[in-house]
Amino acid sequence: MGYTITEKILARVAGLPSVKAGDEIMAKPDYVIAYDFPGYTDVYFKQMKEEFGIERVAEPDRYAIFIDHMIPAASPKEEELHIGTRKWCAENNVPLFERKGIGHQVACEVGYATPGAFVVHFDGHVSQLGTFGTLAMGIRRNILEAFVRERISMKVPHTVRVNLRGALQKGVMARDVFHQLVRVMGPSSCRFQVLEIGGPAVSTLSTEGLQTITGLAMFTGAVTAIVNPESERLQYALSRARKKLEPVVSDPDASYAAVHDIDLTNLEPVIVIPPTPSNTRNLTDYLGIEIHAGYLGSCASGRIEDMRAAANVLRGRQVKPGFALNVVPTSNELMAAAAKEGLIGALVEAGAFISSPSCDYCFGRIATMTANQRAVSTGTLNVKGRMGSPDSEIYLCNAAAVAAAAIEGKIADPRRYL
Amino acid sequence: MSNALPNLNGRVAFVFEERDFDVDQIIGVKNIKIQDVAELAALAMQSYDPEFQKKVCPGDVVVGADNFGYGHPHYPPMRAMRHLGIAGVIAESFSPGYWRGEISMGFPQVSCPGILGFVQRWDDIEVDWAAGVVRNLTQSKEIAFEPLSRADRQMLEAGGLVPYLKQSSVA
Repeated sequence: MGYTITEKILARVAGLPSVKAGDEIMAKPDYVIAYDFPGYTDVYFKQMKEEFGIERVAEPDRYAIFIDHMIPAASPKEEELHIGTRKWCAENNVPLFERKGIGHQVACEVGYATPGAFVVHFDGHVSQLGTFGTLAMGIRRNILEAFVRERISMKVPHTVRVNLRGALQKGVMARDVFHQLVRVMGPSSCRFQVLEIGGPAVSTLSTEGLQTITGLAMFTGAVTAIVNPESERLQYALSRARKKLEPVVSDPDASYAAVHDIDLTNLEPVIVIPPTPSNTRNLTDYLGIEIHAGYLGSCASGRIEDMRAAANVLRGRQVKPGFALNVVPTSNELMAAAAKEGLIGALVEAGAFISSPSCDYCFGRIATMTANQRAVSTGTLNVKGRMGSPDSEIYLCNAAAVAAAAIEGKIADPRRYL
Repeated sequence: MSNALPNLNGRVAFVFEERDFDVDQIIGVKNIKIQDVAELAALAMQSYDPEFQKKVCPGDVVVGADNFGYGHPHYPPMRAMRHLGIAGVIAESFSPGYWRGEISMGFPQVSCPGILGFVQRWDDIEVDWAAGVVRNLTQSKEIAFEPLSRADRQMLEAGGLVPYLKQSSVA
């Protein structure tokens, strides 16, 4: 019986010849990543010193800190948090990435998505590093273990394999694919397991699209998602990798907890209705619902293909007066590329408000909706209150559908604009 | 090196029958940024049972359905529940993010397929860690739960993540 990519990666970091799903191991993460956030990093930095007597981390290059929330800072208190983070990184000689974009994307750009590496973060959307064959898990507060010890205790997760086949129709995007997985498999289908994405469609999906899919894995209950890395992905990741590791892939006879085959051929644009990410529906069943705001961005969506899709819908058209369309590219690198391609210009000319990269539109900091307002969003979540009043509503959909709604001021089918 | 986990003994103070239950609803999303635990406790469960605070006793537990804690769970709801005396949560199954978060707070969580049909509100129950069963003392029956992983068990025994790490960094 063969091994999954997850078992192979965890065997290496546990220092064992092999491990199997269910084994309890002590694993040494290749990278420990966090973004600064009140109650998280500031607390870890304090606890390390005061509770564990750790003045300096032993291997600073294993750690990486991102400043992507509260960018730009809007108060001295927020700036104080960032000052504390900068100070800790300088004292510890730990790499700090500030104002470069949303950390999960920047982590890929600067080489933490090393194929074959094991990465931990407190935030689960780090799972998108899995696009490049990196096992990247969000472990919430348990990240403290990785700050105070070399190894973390964990159970080797089982894997659910999903084979995707068929090509996407026009107007259908990776975002739809992910929400379709939740619809078909269920929001708890991969609980405590790894979602391994494979099948013939993987080579036709873009790298960006796979980042979208893997980055949202938590809403299937998965602890992360991973793809056996192939050509385009390896090329991207190996040229940026911070560490030389032999990429690994699942054996053909690896053992899976479940295998799903999902045909994308007839997939239509979907919409995830409030108030939970488990509510996937066909977009066409919700056409005409009045919408007041649109958000195109986040660690999940907000890359070139998302901005390109929105620009294709909006070029030569206008955002409806009174509709607030915010476009937030996922990283500086992507924003610059979008500018070169003319996407930023097209979106601005159509009436979009463009922000530099930041997490703030997604996690509830820039959250202005009043009771009874509704948004379409490519953000990560549609739970109550995420974009303002608990009595406002968020509908998740793909970037083209956000743009179409911005034109009409209601939920609209993007395919009529493409 | 550590004390055995004390058994949970109490009543089923509430049964959340909704699957994929978003725990933020316990205090209401609009209250999620409140820090004061007494204030949180006063708000807890108001949309489910306005008399909850009066009825609950220290040691009581709550019961949940499948994938309990789905969504984007925050810590304040269960801080509030602990403040009211809730000693643990037993559910059909849990969402991993919620599970990790609460275990790291030292708050016992019991994954017990079948629990929904096994208890009714206000039944007296016991979680026997050593025997690996939940006993319904009111109805005189028992049901097995899924064993904790070694690390989760040690974390609960230690009383949460920080004491656990302190303990095991010396061990």
